[in-house]
Amino acid sequence: MAVPPALVASHLTRRFDTRVAVDDVSLELAPGEIFALLGPNGAGKTTTLRMLAGLIKPSAGSVAVHGRIGFLTEAPGLWDRLTVERNLMVHARLHGLDNPARAVDEALDLFDIGARKRDRAAQLSKGLKQRVALARSLLHRPDIVLLDEPTSGLDPESARDVRELILRLRSERRAVLISTHNLDEVERVADRVAVLRARLVALDTPAALRARLFGSRVLVRLASPAAPFADVLKPACTDVRADDRTLSIAVNDVEGAAPGIVRALVQAGAEVVSVVADQAPLEEVYLRLLDEEKP
Amino acid sequence: MSRIAALLGKELADLRSNPAVFIPAIITGVISIVMPFAIAIAVPYFSGERLADSSDFKIALEIYRDQPATRSLDPEGAIQAMIFQQFLIMLVLTPVAGAMSVAAYAVVGEKQARTLEPLLATPITTFELLAAKVLGALLPGIALATACFALYVGGVMLFAHPGVYRTLFFPRALLTIFLLGPLASLAALQMAVCVSSRVNDARSAQQIGALIILPISVLLVAEFTNNLQLTSRLVLLISSGLAALNVALMAVGIRLFDRESILTRWK
Repeated sequence: MAVPPALVASHLTRRFDTRVAVDDVSLELAPGEIFALLGPNGAGKTTTLRMLAGLIKPSAGSVAVHGRIGFLTEAPGLWDRLTVERNLMVHARLHGLDNPARAVDEALDLFDIGARKRDRAAQLSKGLKQRVALARSLLHRPDIVLLDEPTSGLDPESARDVRELILRLRSERRAVLISTHNLDEVERVADRVAVLRARLVALDTPAALRARLFGSRVLVRLASPAAPFADVLKPACTDVRADDRTLSIAVNDVEGAAPGIVRALVQAGAEVVSVVADQAPLEEVYLRLLDEEKP
Repeated sequence: MSRIAALLGKELADLRSNPAVFIPAIITGVISIVMPFAIAIAVPYFSGERLADSSDFKIALEIYRDQPATRSLDPEGAIQAMIFQQFLIMLVLTPVAGAMSVAAYAVVGEKQARTLEPLLATPITTFELLAAKVLGALLPGIALATACFALYVGGVMLFAHPGVYRTLFFPRALLTIFLLGPLASLAALQMAVCVSSRVNDARSAQQIGALIILPISVLLVAEFTNNLQLTSRLVLLISSGLAALNVALMAVGIRLFDRESILTRWK
């Protein structure tokens, strides 16, 4: 039986006076899925997240939510003069949790910030603030987690920590939507990607977007010059290029085609050193999509 | 109620870590206490001239001696009682002064610190948010005014004629401090919070909220010039008006607090 989506946005539109910030955006989010919302500044990412979180109303369209929502805002938004523990406690009580003290203790443990619980928020590094903010957004155990640029401005180590926390959310079967500029982050964690420029430019898995724009290729590195083996793969593979000791073969499905290619080459006497999928960087995919969208 | 208590707890904790915000209120309180003592006690003491001998206080003495509250006092005590009662209304300004800057920053401060959006992402209602913000500014102000009143009474017991302090426990005085004062403060704070939710600059909210000082000053001047006698009934009447004003201000505050505009248009 198909798992029902955790969140369904249908034809979301938001106008500010005459400006259309978000135009007819529809998307679904499944439990245990990490969904990345990409787009340039001013593309409507934050407005979309705010509509999904119920903070602002859409001018048209609707949002159906099955479960509780946790929202990590773009800025950590901690009360600087209050301790970490107090910051969390206030939010736990605002969410009306039965045992706010226990929820706070669990969050402190889960996010490994217990040692800093008596520190004022102002004393924390940017990475720690983000960690506390993430803990705060999960205090009420939301089923859907909306993260607005969760690693923005963080050093690589802090960003990695946040990414690990995001992956943990997936393992807990929570639906996660990340708005970000960080393509490397998307590459590492996202199951599906939507590119937004007021309206949805594209929505698919990163691999499918790559395949749609650049096609899929398999790179086979051989122990000897590759040119003599190029014809071995034809006519099954129509687009085969040889460059020094490497063969580049266009395929529809990398995982499906690779075993047959290797088998044919070995039977022809080639010594295969390595086989890898030739992937265009997600950045190229993203920029190509935005270029195609330009009027 | 629990969400109001949660946010109120945060407001009070925030204030505890930043007590400097109450310096204007402490100054107002000190001035409110020192001025009547200077007039009623220090000046006669150093000049050697009794208040009862001054022609300036003759009319006031006649009015006050007619009142049951001061009938048992000697002329000097009656004039002291009059002065201490009239300056009592200055203490009403103490919580207003104390809480105004707090209230003015209530919403705009959260916005500037970028703490408002996470707060609005919780299930808190606009009424709960505004109530917590107003109470967070009002309660410390009332506590400060109560402390000032206790000092005031203590000073009167120590330095004024015997029996004068009792006049500070008559209904008029108690209603002024514990009913008129908090209601006037509440009105001022609500005005400040309303404005705070519509502007980008806390100073605007502070200035508009401070307008409540004007009618209080009018009362003070009218009493000093013997054009008005603030009786218990009049205090109750003004308090009723302020209570109605406060209900109206809360309704207006909720209407003015436009979450979407605050989130999307403020920079």
